[in-house]
Amino acid sequence: MIELGTIWGGAEGAVRDARRKVRVTLERLTADDMVASRIASVTSQLFRALDRGAEPGRIDVRLDDAGAVPMLVLDLVGAGDELDDAVAEPFFDRISKVLVDGEPGVRLGLYLDLAVASALSERRIAEMRAVIEQKGRDALMQELTVKNRELQESFDNLRRTTTAKERMESELNIGRDIQMSMLPLKFPPFPHRTDFAVFATLEPAREVGGDFYDFFLIDEDRFCFCVGDVSGKGVPAALLMAVTKTLIKSRATNDFSPASILTHVNDEISENNESAMFVTLWLGILDVSSGDLVYTNAGHNPPYLKRAGGELVRLDERHGPVVGAVDGLVYSEGSGQLSGGDVLFLYTDGVTEAMDPAGRLYDEDRLVSLLQSTDFGSVDEVVKASTDDVWRFQAEAEQADDVTVLAVEFIGRARGVGDLHVLDLGIPNRLEEIDTVNRAFDEFAAERGLSERVRRSMKLVFDDLLNNVMSYAYEDEADHEIQVHVELSSDRLAVRISDDGRPFNPFGRTAPDTALTLEQREIGGLGIHLVQNLMDEASYTRRTDRNVVVLVKYLSDNAEE
Amino acid sequence: MSMSESGGITVVRFDGNLDTNTAPEAQERFDELAGQGVGKVLVDFERLDYISSAGLRVLLATAKKLRSGGGNLRLCNLNETVAEVFEISGFSTIFAVFPTEVEALEGF
Repeated sequence: MIELGTIWGGAEGAVRDARRKVRVTLERLTADDMVASRIASVTSQLFRALDRGAEPGRIDVRLDDAGAVPMLVLDLVGAGDELDDAVAEPFFDRISKVLVDGEPGVRLGLYLDLAVASALSERRIAEMRAVIEQKGRDALMQELTVKNRELQESFDNLRRTTTAKERMESELNIGRDIQMSMLPLKFPPFPHRTDFAVFATLEPAREVGGDFYDFFLIDEDRFCFCVGDVSGKGVPAALLMAVTKTLIKSRATNDFSPASILTHVNDEISENNESAMFVTLWLGILDVSSGDLVYTNAGHNPPYLKRAGGELVRLDERHGPVVGAVDGLVYSEGSGQLSGGDVLFLYTDGVTEAMDPAGRLYDEDRLVSLLQSTDFGSVDEVVKASTDDVWRFQAEAEQADDVTVLAVEFIGRARGVGDLHVLDLGIPNRLEEIDTVNRAFDEFAAERGLSERVRRSMKLVFDDLLNNVMSYAYEDEADHEIQVHVELSSDRLAVRISDDGRPFNPFGRTAPDTALTLEQREIGGLGIHLVQNLMDEASYTRRTDRNVVVLVKYLSDNAEE
Repeated sequence: MSMSESGGITVVRFDGNLDTNTAPEAQERFDELAGQGVGKVLVDFERLDYISSAGLRVLLATAKKLRSGGGNLRLCNLNETVAEVFEISGFSTIFAVFPTEVEALEGF
């Protein structure tokens, strides 16, 4: 039995959330989007009947792998009405009544295709668990509302017990505590990492401001970091900050495009955004193995890039409006290449709008001359030098807004250790162009001494995947560019193929039955089956308006050949 | 792709790849063979670099055609990757695969 997790009801929007989770899980298990969508509808229909606000319903999701044929088991439990499970009959193989922890429920079982089930890796299972355990926006909001209420209660207690002055101080402290508790404050945050460095500071104004920053490693190589400023002040701003931060982090675990991340975060926040609050955000993902930087600026102050050679560059592209203001828009992103010693400097308007006792603004020119004149020894130094300069300027004037500064230095890895070889190609969507890719890859493989086995497998994979894209992804006769990106390091070969065709998941179909006789065999889905078996990892994601397939082949046994 | 005939067995030798772009021609040549009533075909993969699903499709179609006319298809000299592809696709169980041309010709 493999437990995949529990989907909880109870919150506003929970049924819709449950439907989405069941659908995504089933898409992975049945490889049939239509079936997944229908089953998710029926399940959410049943769930709606038994989920009661005060007594939340639940769906326990597990894979029963004990029998000859693996089965997906959904236990729907809740205090609601007696279920009319007849609606589930056409969609499930087994339906029975159960008692879970004394509560009555219905157990729905669905036999899975053997081939799909046997191809389930630990990683796929972990992905499904992540989907199921993911908190929906409504659940998060509800959690925050509860926290808000608890805070209100402690405010009330304070009101009764302390003097006016003490009370105000305490309230401010509580507000500050919420804000600060959401920030990573331990530096250096990744003491074992020598390939990049990060330092940040946030000095809150006396009132609670809406600044925040965050950073985390998505995987071994991808470092995600952001700085934002929530409109408004006080506890509502702190709550929106928490939601934004959480949405970014959960999305970034399986989406490596800042534009795509912010597009989704914006959709979540702007939907039912009655309070009309918004967030300015700058979010970047730095590949610390290569120095590749991708970023999206959503209405935030443009950051600065201080090159190792001393040149100061303002990253003044904007890729869309503030987050939370307009529903359904698609953000774009910019990219750049960092070299060893380059430092990115991010800040909020609390820096440039700091005022001296005479009411003059610190302004961006002053920041620029500081960044130009200072020779940064480290990220800590640049952050401290800039905030010190603001405090000097401000002198005894009161701090009007939060002051936030974050600096990231790309250091890079010593050559030879993390040596990375890259092959980048763009080809038009014509079948004969597959040869262009394979010829270039042959040359690349020869130069890098790739084993015959890996080289041949990869060429087959290119042939089958590119053929697939060219034959099925486009609905018009126009020319389209397909991008192929190959990265070879000492222990793995990673390939990314992306196209701007209609959304199409090549791995979303059932594996062919390879045990049939010659007369029975049909060729369909065989190419994809080969790809999945020859590669160690094969995944598909839709990134804004492109299909992206990522393949990884580990080279650990390379030396034996 | 080249062909030779000896003792009633047609030997087909591939050079390079059997993939999206080379499969149509290969299919044509095999169809010609089947159309001429050739029964026994041995495909030698010694000089084949790789085969993709487009190539497998050609082999499957050809084997079906030959069998329906009472003929047969044998394969030999699969490199490691081609052999792996045959394993994964189940083709190793539906085709008669031999290590060398000599062994393949024996008793054909």
